[in-house]
Amino acid sequence: MSSSRIYLDYCATTPVHASVRNEILRALDVDFGNPSSMHWAGKDSKHLIDQARADVASGIGCRPAEVIFTSGATEADNLALFGTLRRFPSTKAHLITSSIEHHAILHAAHRLEQDGYSVTYLPVDKHGLVNPEDVRRAIRPETKLISIMYVNNEVGSVQPIAEIGRIARDHDIRFHTDAVQAIGLFDVNVDDLNVDLLSLSAHKIYGPKGIGALYARSDVNLVPMIFGGPQENSRRAGTENVPGIVGLGAAMNLVQQHRAEERVRLLELRKYLMDGLQALDPAVLVNGSTENVAPHVLSISFMSVDAEMLLIRLNAEGIAVSLGSACNSESIEPSHVLTAMKLPQEQIESTLRISLGLPSTRQEIDLALDVIKRALPRAVIQ
Amino acid sequence: MLVKDREADMSKFKVCVVGGYCSNRIMIVAEQLTEFFEKKGIDCQVITHGVAYQGSFAPRSNLILQLLPAFTEEEAGCPVINIKPLIGDPAHPATIEKILKQVQAYYAL
Repeated sequence: MSSSRIYLDYCATTPVHASVRNEILRALDVDFGNPSSMHWAGKDSKHLIDQARADVASGIGCRPAEVIFTSGATEADNLALFGTLRRFPSTKAHLITSSIEHHAILHAAHRLEQDGYSVTYLPVDKHGLVNPEDVRRAIRPETKLISIMYVNNEVGSVQPIAEIGRIARDHDIRFHTDAVQAIGLFDVNVDDLNVDLLSLSAHKIYGPKGIGALYARSDVNLVPMIFGGPQENSRRAGTENVPGIVGLGAAMNLVQQHRAEERVRLLELRKYLMDGLQALDPAVLVNGSTENVAPHVLSISFMSVDAEMLLIRLNAEGIAVSLGSACNSESIEPSHVLTAMKLPQEQIESTLRISLGLPSTRQEIDLALDVIKRALPRAVIQ
Repeated sequence: MLVKDREADMSKFKVCVVGGYCSNRIMIVAEQLTEFFEKKGIDCQVITHGVAYQGSFAPRSNLILQLLPAFTEEEAGCPVINIKPLIGDPAHPATIEKILKQVQAYYAL
């Protein structure tokens, strides 16, 4: 293993920022009370939650009461889907989503289908983009919810959320977006985006793991998934994860401060990386849209190269990137996103995802390019 | 017979199935090859090696069958065959033929 480690997998998770860590430690050490308690210790903790809720609300342009803290984006996505649809008999409720959603949406949608609900999985084009007209065409009288992710976590395609939201609103249908990969770099305002429900996660924005939130517009009625106490306005029971919530609030403040400049900086860094990779191998293919793309995600196919072998060689040299496939009990499955984009199998198996974050620098990219240059010839398919 | 790397008997012809992160995939292919060799009456040991977890040094063996381009013949010190086609088709004729050719060449010596 090389002595220098370079992390280029910020779509998977991000390190906890020092400012966020300080806030969390304070919540752990000082404000330890149960927020439901009537005494001073409880009140102190309750105050921290209220402040964090206000910070999250400020980050997405909603009212604090519209923020429901969850254990992460997976729970938020599940609550959005199950909470909305289970208000209706299964035969009278239809969900529209896309074929490139995170598994937190897709697997929840499959479960809804098993329960008798109907689901439409919209296709995407070769750039990984949903066509809003496809959304309009898929609407039925019984459609109750549309759920389309904001930024795709594998190829970085940025969906036309405001436009899809307008279509949903015109038809009086609830609209949910998983904004996990968007919240750190895009100006997210729930009114401008026409969304009724929005999921986010702390650990993708330099906060801790195990905490996320669902924005639910005040007129959205959700059936809870977890029952118990009256926490989160009886929409999500359980003693609050106070340090996590504090961390999410601090992370939201952090990204709000840096969003605009980071968007520009990372877009330039992404181009620098892309140019460097194309100089190493002119045959590389960049997957996803060239225009509607998130500045921190680069999905790239090194043709005739085994991406898994390349990843292993890069990891041995301290470079952390991600593969476009996942190991299950019987095989390595090709990415459902790249498959939905109709990429050839050979291209999918040659694809790596490189993702950038706040700590990423040109120096790191130069070092990574140097390692990739050495590793590429040793990962060529024989 | 499918055995662990460290239990391998070097006095026997030893075939090593090399793969990456997916140990399930390595085991499935190794078991299929073990069965294949047994049916053919070929006396050999099949061992497995995952380069993602077990390091980048080639395991001691007489033949390396790799699911990804981990080793060259120079690094391995033995013949190396790409067996990725076996993932989709356990009886992939061209790959099976290459393997048999190598095994037969060993026993002909």
